[in-house]
Amino acid sequence: MKIGMISFAHMHAYSYAKSLLQIPGVELAGIADDNPERGERMAAELGTSFVDLDELLARADVAAVIICSENSKHRYYTELAAKAGKHVMVEKPIATTVADAQAMIQACADAGVKLQVAFPCRFIPAVRRAKEAVEQGRLGRLIGIRASNHGRNPGGWFIEKELSGGGAVMDHTVHVVDLIRWIFASEFTEVYAEADSMIHGISIDDCGLLSMKLENGAFATLDPSWSRPSAFPTWGDVKMEIVGTNGVISIDAFKQRLDVYSEASGHRYLPWGGDMDFHLVKDFVDTVALDREPFITGYDGLKALEVALAAYKSADSHQVVNI
Amino acid sequence: MTLRVGLIGLGTMGKVHAEAYRQLPDTQLVAVADLRPEMRQKYEGTDTVVYCDGVDLIAQADVDIIDVCVPTHLHRKFVELAAAKGRHVFCEKPLARTYADGQAMVAACKQAGVKFGVGHVVRFFPEYAAAKRVVDSGEIGKPVTVSTMRGGGGFPTAWQDWYANFQWSGGLVLDMIIHDFDYLRWVFGEVERIFARGSAGQEANRFEYALVTLRFKSGVIANVEGSWFNHGGFQTKLEIAGQKGLINHESAESSPLRAILKSSDTAAQVAVPESPVDKSPYLLEIEHFVSCIQSGEEPMISGDEALKSLQLALAAMESVATGKPVHL
Repeated sequence: MKIGMISFAHMHAYSYAKSLLQIPGVELAGIADDNPERGERMAAELGTSFVDLDELLARADVAAVIICSENSKHRYYTELAAKAGKHVMVEKPIATTVADAQAMIQACADAGVKLQVAFPCRFIPAVRRAKEAVEQGRLGRLIGIRASNHGRNPGGWFIEKELSGGGAVMDHTVHVVDLIRWIFASEFTEVYAEADSMIHGISIDDCGLLSMKLENGAFATLDPSWSRPSAFPTWGDVKMEIVGTNGVISIDAFKQRLDVYSEASGHRYLPWGGDMDFHLVKDFVDTVALDREPFITGYDGLKALEVALAAYKSADSHQVVNI
Repeated sequence: MTLRVGLIGLGTMGKVHAEAYRQLPDTQLVAVADLRPEMRQKYEGTDTVVYCDGVDLIAQADVDIIDVCVPTHLHRKFVELAAAKGRHVFCEKPLARTYADGQAMVAACKQAGVKFGVGHVVRFFPEYAAAKRVVDSGEIGKPVTVSTMRGGGGFPTAWQDWYANFQWSGGLVLDMIIHDFDYLRWVFGEVERIFARGSAGQEANRFEYALVTLRFKSGVIANVEGSWFNHGGFQTKLEIAGQKGLINHESAESSPLRAILKSSDTAAQVAVPESPVDKSPYLLEIEHFVSCIQSGEEPMISGDEALKSLQLALAAMESVATGKPVHL
């Protein structure tokens, strides 16, 4: 199976490409990028070729593409790929507006191609174990969840609103929202949020806090802030404290790590846990190969986006926003 | 000069306060009161005069300080009586069950010209005090986002199960995470708006859980988690992220002592983590109050201060009940 990549604007593209290279029978068909310097550099590094987008999509032997462009360009590339009959895996968030997300879902449905959104956290072993416990009823009825998805200021296009659609709240809301929807099979119904630009002197939100309610009656807060200083030993975290009537489940998704202290780097964490990006990409490849329904759909991407957009609305109005 | 103390309520906190007065060189616990004979027993036949009813203690005992360690809804009654008698008053947190009660207590102490201190002891915990010093030093830059956690040790048991009576205790938000509200106010100033979600009133209400969002006038966004569920033992967490750095405290990661010992020949070995310090925060808070009486200074956590923290907790409870943010 040949899979092309469209844009390396989002740094996750590198990890997805490396994953493709590890899967037997899969070939990285080439990299298209509207930044030719970046495209050529990444193609050279990954042992593939930098290709013209139209030519990549015109190739009959390319089955699918992975899109890691700036968020606001997801729709454009997804629609082009769908029209060309290519299956699509798109980086999160699915898009920057509900209209764009709906158009992408429609375009892929019309073309009969698969659309998968990249929520790799669903492939973290600890998360899967937690989901199993919930499904076995061991947590009891869900009461509340306290979650964080902290990070650093990624800079670049991430802090240009017309390209990213939003800052920390857009960047870091959708992962945890997707996990909660997936684990508990319940939709979010309302959001109250604070969001602001207070840390990095940038013109986009770099910190915030969401307080959400679920259809099943439970509630959750999520801190998506880009609040890890450069001295922090790692990029950030995904943590969830899950409280149910029968007990508590704590997830610290990236806790499998060594503490490394060196003259060169000071103190850093060296992760040794599972490779979620590989399993995400492998799942997409299997979905295409076996012609099955995507495990993470465009609808999943849309539902997560809705929560992030509602958070911005609430942060502006200081009122609870219904979804 | 030795200050004579009358202590009303010998429950969990009363015992802790009694120990503090025993340790302090300038105080003498001359009278105690508790409705429960088994609590009074320890003092029978000692120099400490034992009362059943705190009202009688206030009326009869010759003391300088009345320390009130009774359930929250009874605070007002004893504080007002003590103030009317001209006694300095130290009262456990939260100040009161209602704002009106709190206002009346503060007014009574002011009118009587007595010192009034309230036991928001977290300000005296060394890790919390140290975090404030780091913030104040500017080392982590302007503080931006804060998160706290308190609880996880299960549901508190006490006289007549009063914690489970929402009309008496106010539940988790008023009784427990008011600690964090008070601390956050101390470090970051006053709050502009508050939004809270909680399980109060749900079927599992003995095991309450709450997540509160606070926006401070300074811009700080804070997330306060409180739990009466079992998270594997009582614990506290505090993270303060600033523009130039970050402070993190997790009590579960900071116990210098962990003993895994048999409590009897047959009992299983249970791990008991401890974080012993030179002076307990409870000793420090009472030492501070006593020094204020001696020097004439105003206690750090005065009635007015405690009233502001009470207002935050009541606003959070209102938000839980209405599902709407409360603008202060």
